[in-house]
Amino acid sequence: MMPIWTKSGERHAVTLLKVQDCHVLKYISKEESGGKTSKLLVGGKNVSPFSRSESAMEIFREAGVPRKQKITTFNVTDDAIIKPGTPLYAAHFRPGQFVDVTAKTIGKGFQGVMKRWGFKGQPATHGQTKTHRRPGAISTNKAAKVYRGKKMPGKMGNIYRTSYGLKVWRINTKHDIIYVNGSVPGHTNCLVKVKDSKLPTYKDHNKNPPFPTFFADGDEELPEDLFDEEIFQFTDPSVTYS
Amino acid sequence: FSSSGYRISSDGKPEKFQPPPKPVIIDKRKQIEERRFLSPEFIPPRGRKDPLKFFIERKDMIQRRKVFNIPEFYVGSILAVTTADPYAKDKAKRFVGICIQRGGKGLGATFVLRNVIEDQGVEIYYELYNPRIQAIEVLKLEKRLDDNLMYLRDALPEYSTFDVNMKPVSHLDHEEIPVNKLQVRMKPKPWSKRWERPQYNIKGIKFELPEAKMKEAQKWSKPWLEFDMLREYDTSKIEEKIWREVNEELKK
Repeated sequence: MMPIWTKSGERHAVTLLKVQDCHVLKYISKEESGGKTSKLLVGGKNVSPFSRSESAMEIFREAGVPRKQKITTFNVTDDAIIKPGTPLYAAHFRPGQFVDVTAKTIGKGFQGVMKRWGFKGQPATHGQTKTHRRPGAISTNKAAKVYRGKKMPGKMGNIYRTSYGLKVWRINTKHDIIYVNGSVPGHTNCLVKVKDSKLPTYKDHNKNPPFPTFFADGDEELPEDLFDEEIFQFTDPSVTYS
Repeated sequence: FSSSGYRISSDGKPEKFQPPPKPVIIDKRKQIEERRFLSPEFIPPRGRKDPLKFFIERKDMIQRRKVFNIPEFYVGSILAVTTADPYAKDKAKRFVGICIQRGGKGLGATFVLRNVIEDQGVEIYYELYNPRIQAIEVLKLEKRLDDNLMYLRDALPEYSTFDVNMKPVSHLDHEEIPVNKLQVRMKPKPWSKRWERPQYNIKGIKFELPEAKMKEAQKWSKPWLEFDMLREYDTSKIEEKIWREVNEELKK
């Protein structure tokens, strides 16, 4: 995470996400998957092919791509289908876009009710016998049962969570890095899924995104760094107010 | 007017004018090795982060240093910082103070300036790479016995007062940075932190506590810490590499 300053002098915190060897693996049509839209399987980081089972290797062999650590599905419309085997780059996103980021949160193991659900516990003194971090009552008398989904101690973390509506401030095309506003679930160097935002406020926000994706062997020559309009670039002189 | 023409040499003829030997200028500045100073925020901390992140951050930091000069300074030097402020007169604010702490790594590096203005102690945290900073001048470049001068909050106010209109003290490039071995006198206890305890390792206070209290403070000493190998972080090679990289980029 890094600080970033705008032209008006405000400071924002930014997370760096690296796009490392992403390839499109497979195309699943609407009828095959049974969903509303067709799907594209995309694979992430490259990993050695030897320590995994043979069945999963088939997908990679057909796409002609080294073995990936993580495979995710993206729902795509029919006009955005990409041929399996194309690499995906950070330039697929542009500064000013809004993005949702999904990842597995940091695993905290078996945790009590105060840390996991934020219960208040009991006082430390005034005669409390062996009761300082317990949940207290778990149901009423009339219910005569404990409801399903009651908040109780258990394994915390290591589940998929999404942060919605994160602004993309800057893109580094040379090293394939996306600078995304705010924090992102997951530990350092964990695998993360980045999608266009589903929030209704940002539905029409994208103007001229690279569609269906940014192809490296195409005609476009992008500069090494793409900045949002409001970012203070370090090549400019210091900010002054008039 | 030269009298050499009148001198008669041993063979009777006037001697030809011999000019005096040219003086050889030895520039002592170039002789002494260039002092290597790498700002502490360039050194990456130990951790699981990808070194690519530090490389990219360093590029941004060097880019900012090319446009705006961030001078060399240490904890204990007196600085004057002008920041842009939309609500101030002339849209700029100037603050003079002694640097008591330098923290943070990378672009978020900070330093704290302390001064006592009209009997009120004031400390301001500045970010080195904040674009609102217009100028950083070093009024007096010197080091102190400690890396962290937070104990000045509990010291007598005369040790933290500095004249706002102080003239910059000149410092020659090739000289060593002077170490101010000042021992500071403290206000009566209680202090904000128990500075006599060995975990803070403070050498710049003149403790006027009774011997018994000093001995009791040594109870909290951890003599095994200096032998702990897991805490060792040898930064000499990393520093050299980064220093070379930074200097090359800055010269361009």
